[in-house]
Amino acid sequence: MADLCRPRRAADRLGRRRALTAPAKAGALVRLLLDRFPDLAAGLWTDEDSVEVTIDGGRNVAILRALRDEPDLNFWYLADAAAVDYGPTEHFEVVYHLYSDRHPAWLRVRATVNRDDPHIPSITDLWEGAMFHEREMYDMMGIVFDGNRDLRRIYMSPDYRSFPQRRDFLLPDDAADSSAAGVRPLERPETWDLARLSGNVSPEVIAHAEGEA
Amino acid sequence: MTSEVKIPDPLDLERAEEDRLRLAAGLARARQAAGEYAGFESVGLPDRPPQTEREREVYTLREGEMLVNMGPQHPSTHGVMRLVVKVRGEVVTDVDPVLGYLHRGIEKLCENATYTTVMTYVDPMDYLSAMHNEHAPAIAFEKLFGIRAPRRAEYIRALVVELNRIFSHGLMMGFLALDMGGITPILYGFINRDEVVDLLSAISGQRMLFNFFRVGGVNFDANDEFFSRLGTWRSNVVKTIEMSEHVITDNEVFRARTIGMGVLSGRDAIALGVSGPNLRASGVPFDVRKAHPYSIYPELEFEVVTQSGGDSNARYLQRIAEIKQSIHLIDQIVDKMPHGPVQAQVPGIIRPKPGRAYAAVESPRGLYSVYAISDGGPNPYRFRMRDPSFVSLQAIPKLMPGRLIADTMAVMASFDPVMGGVDK
Repeated sequence: MADLCRPRRAADRLGRRRALTAPAKAGALVRLLLDRFPDLAAGLWTDEDSVEVTIDGGRNVAILRALRDEPDLNFWYLADAAAVDYGPTEHFEVVYHLYSDRHPAWLRVRATVNRDDPHIPSITDLWEGAMFHEREMYDMMGIVFDGNRDLRRIYMSPDYRSFPQRRDFLLPDDAADSSAAGVRPLERPETWDLARLSGNVSPEVIAHAEGEA
Repeated sequence: MTSEVKIPDPLDLERAEEDRLRLAAGLARARQAAGEYAGFESVGLPDRPPQTEREREVYTLREGEMLVNMGPQHPSTHGVMRLVVKVRGEVVTDVDPVLGYLHRGIEKLCENATYTTVMTYVDPMDYLSAMHNEHAPAIAFEKLFGIRAPRRAEYIRALVVELNRIFSHGLMMGFLALDMGGITPILYGFINRDEVVDLLSAISGQRMLFNFFRVGGVNFDANDEFFSRLGTWRSNVVKTIEMSEHVITDNEVFRARTIGMGVLSGRDAIALGVSGPNLRASGVPFDVRKAHPYSIYPELEFEVVTQSGGDSNARYLQRIAEIKQSIHLIDQIVDKMPHGPVQAQVPGIIRPKPGRAYAAVESPRGLYSVYAISDGGPNPYRFRMRDPSFVSLQAIPKLMPGRLIADTMAVMASFDPVMGGVDK
């Protein structure tokens, strides 16, 4: 079984950047990005078939719009949008993977999101198909996409309250593990029907169902 | 422009009485009249206020409209899925897909599994293309771990994924006809599938969830007996495919119900994130095997076929064209198959260096990709799968308004979604 809560400094270890050694096939793209967004040079990183930029979450729409619409960049296909949780004391990341037929590399845009106030602008105006991805990220990680007009749960039931893919969401197996002893699982069933029927249910039952017992 | 005409309803008195009783018992109102926010109980959802703008739009009924549940146990939802269809008479005015009935949390499970055991969890994702499901994580983990599979392993991988593509597309042809009421083609589809699955079980030992790919290679080598069976299959497959093609393609009912149905333009398809054969049927020549070649595809010769129609019929014809390309690919793979080992030396418990890797493959339903993050531990820190049918499903609410209820399933089947993949 896995470590439960990963070490706090996970983001330091994961975010370590290699020196900027552009592979031959992505070199032109790296130069283009450096010319167009000089302030992103610090977050630029490449591997064998992808180029990566790290941006602040609030700028995602402007930067993705430029990447999509400017003729020499022309990243017209949103291949993926996913969220990463770097642990309870770190941040979230929304990771976009873009494709362009002009560049032989995937472009990965990592947008950081504050974990205490997880808001980021929605990109559904740029790619309508980001809707399901954003609903999934909201459902699983609890990231709120401002401007998304259909931000509801997609997999879990509408009355579910927890965000199961966060790192601090423990699986039932983990809760029984010695290293997690005494830690409450985050899962809480929603209680709207109990509230509705409050005349018939004792306050203790409701308090228990809401996790305060 | 909704008129405010109040249609007298014989049930109104009954409803008022029921509401009075429920109110006295401390319960919410049973139903609300058409025109107000309505209908949650009639489609089996709690009567809570809508959470979003879009939800309010779907669940607010205008005069003459009603909500109908299609699923979750509907026989042709390709898995367990519910479509809330808003209809006026027989005409669909809006569709809201409700997912999650098959959600198993595979991403979370994989984050708690070792790199080797991830392969067993991804199989039941998109259960009609289990080989592709394993291919993307295998590539991603090899990138993370900094190893390459031996060349023979890469060829065997390409061989099995193309075999998988053939039976998946063959089944799609059958299911599409089945959803329009034609029983025969699915039987041909399953004959074709059984032949391919026999081959795949000869090489992997499993019929459906293969668990065949390994980090740095494949589980078993292909022996002479496998190749002789492959040869027998190869000499019959064109006939098998043509047989089901003859049953379907020129069928009058099939043509009437697919041509001009569910037309998706290339621009819309890109915006919606539709990929694979569905995108190519709209005329966009995007195929990951060419766009970002992986495995041995740069060494093989094949065409990216496209259609111009963008309708259900084009999506069907695209599948046939791709089956032919896959057969062509299999011929080349068998001709060029090198000798050698099929598994690189890897430790029992793989601990890649901290890093990130993205790997995309062309599955029968489109772009299937994996984004894996390692923190140096024995299991992936983050394991993300992008399933093509999950994204393609967003096209259904765009295409259905103005069409008949009976065509909903026919159009959905032409996108060939698999709910195991949609729900993860």
